[in-house]
Amino acid sequence: MRLTDIAKVVRSKNAGPTVLTLDLLFNDEAGFRLACGSNSLKPDAIARLYAQPVEKIQVLAYPPALAIKVVLPRRIVSGDPGDSDVYGAQQHGPLLGIEL
Amino acid sequence: MTSAIARLREEVATGGGLKPLRVMAASGQLGYGIPDAAFNAGLARKPHLIGADMGSIDPGPYYLGAGKMAQSETMVRVDLAKCLRGARQLGIPLLVGTAGSAGAAPHLAQTLDMVRAIAREENLHFRLASISADMPRDTVKRAIRAKRVVPLGEIGELTETDVDHATHLVGQMGIEAFQRALELGADVVIAGRACDSAVFAAVPATLGYPLGPTLHMSKIIECCSLCCTPGGRDTVIGTLEGDSFVIDSMNPTRHASPMSVAAHSLYEQADPYAVREPEGTLHTRDSRYEAVDEHRTRVLGSRWEPATQLTIKIEGAMRVGERAVLLCGSADPRVIANIKSITANVEKIVRELTPPRPDKPYQIFWRVYGIDAVFPWATPPDPLPREIFIMCECIADTAEEAKAVATVTKQYLLHHGFPGRLSTAGNTAFPFTPPEVAAATAYRFNVYHVMDVDALEPFFPVHMEDL
Repeated sequence: MRLTDIAKVVRSKNAGPTVLTLDLLFNDEAGFRLACGSNSLKPDAIARLYAQPVEKIQVLAYPPALAIKVVLPRRIVSGDPGDSDVYGAQQHGPLLGIEL
Repeated sequence: MTSAIARLREEVATGGGLKPLRVMAASGQLGYGIPDAAFNAGLARKPHLIGADMGSIDPGPYYLGAGKMAQSETMVRVDLAKCLRGARQLGIPLLVGTAGSAGAAPHLAQTLDMVRAIAREENLHFRLASISADMPRDTVKRAIRAKRVVPLGEIGELTETDVDHATHLVGQMGIEAFQRALELGADVVIAGRACDSAVFAAVPATLGYPLGPTLHMSKIIECCSLCCTPGGRDTVIGTLEGDSFVIDSMNPTRHASPMSVAAHSLYEQADPYAVREPEGTLHTRDSRYEAVDEHRTRVLGSRWEPATQLTIKIEGAMRVGERAVLLCGSADPRVIANIKSITANVEKIVRELTPPRPDKPYQIFWRVYGIDAVFPWATPPDPLPREIFIMCECIADTAEEAKAVATVTKQYLLHHGFPGRLSTAGNTAFPFTPPEVAAATAYRFNVYHVMDVDALEPFFPVHMEDL
């Protein structure tokens, strides 16, 4: 099953200029549980997608919103020369192809 | 005359406790337009205060570095006037945080000038407090030497040179600074760089409402109806009722559900369960979200932990150079297939023709939209796109040098010969000329750190004036 089949929101945004957060919000409890158990959303899988060392990836389940939050460093500080996404709002692309 | 906060104290006091307090969040980004219907519906509820946030670090380093507002001045005046009229009509405090997008001295001065002009034109009279947030450089340097400054994320240790290089250096004030302004009798508070939550939390904190629910509610309403389904920018009212609070959008089509309100705690936060403020930490691990009806949600169980060490988050931006960009596209499959080597070879030629100055070399950045300009994909798309957009950015010490590099790049990109080329009259399409555009001064954040302090007050002086 694809992540996009069971998620209602897949988004990215800065949490300050040095940190990127990815939020996955699910339609229902079943989808949330399935995603929480999937190896495709473990820190090592996210680390490969975002070319970051695994120890810099945090994955956190947030049951009140049936959500999973991923926190990782930005590739480059927001707005530094060479940045491609000042707000970090378009860094969720690699998540859209994930199979759970 | 009694002060605004004294009047509120009298109004909310009961025999033993406090009456419900209605906090109206007029705008999460003052200056981008406040929808009238929800704003007026909010006023009709007779809120006890109006708060509006006006800035953020999200739009990048330019605005802080250059001392300029991100919003249009015309729109800021419209929004400010709307909030001032509403607050004066009801005789309640108006608090505005992070004036002028980034909250440094020029942003604050520009915003205050607008407030004074509106008051004059509309014959409004009130006590105005302004709070500046510019950090004294000597104090920050002393804190660096005393090892009381740490980076927030991967930005490196702060140096005294960074402090000197920052064109503006601000700190985020918390509720403490707003409280001082209120106690001095302010009707309207215009603050420099401030925590967005402090704008909404300062009045309830001063009146004695519990800080857990106060800060949690403030954190949610600072983006107005973004915490609803569907999310939007309309005015929202948060009602503090002691140990709980209720979220109520003033747009009847935007519903605050337990799920949408809980989800908002994720937004732009690294940790949804703990939010660090200058005076302490908001904990939401035990918070419960309950529907009041299909439109409103009540939140209970949020906790506040006072800080054992006071801190100030400091932000600074420095000039990097002057920016020029070249804008063009291509619809030729062979250009698209070879674009990486074409741009690399063109850049090599440009660097030979316009040699970078050894002391201040310019930088060139290529972005090929359609391939990997937004995200650094490991492999190119398959199949390749039918068209691509190419942006070549140059940052140089002077605007003239940046433009020269972009202009030479244009000509050699247009006519670059590569193996297998069919389109020998030109590789690129320009939607207009000149296709090379001066794009203002480039800045970067060189300060995004947290500094331990012994007291907050000296960093955020309050200035009062009667209008």
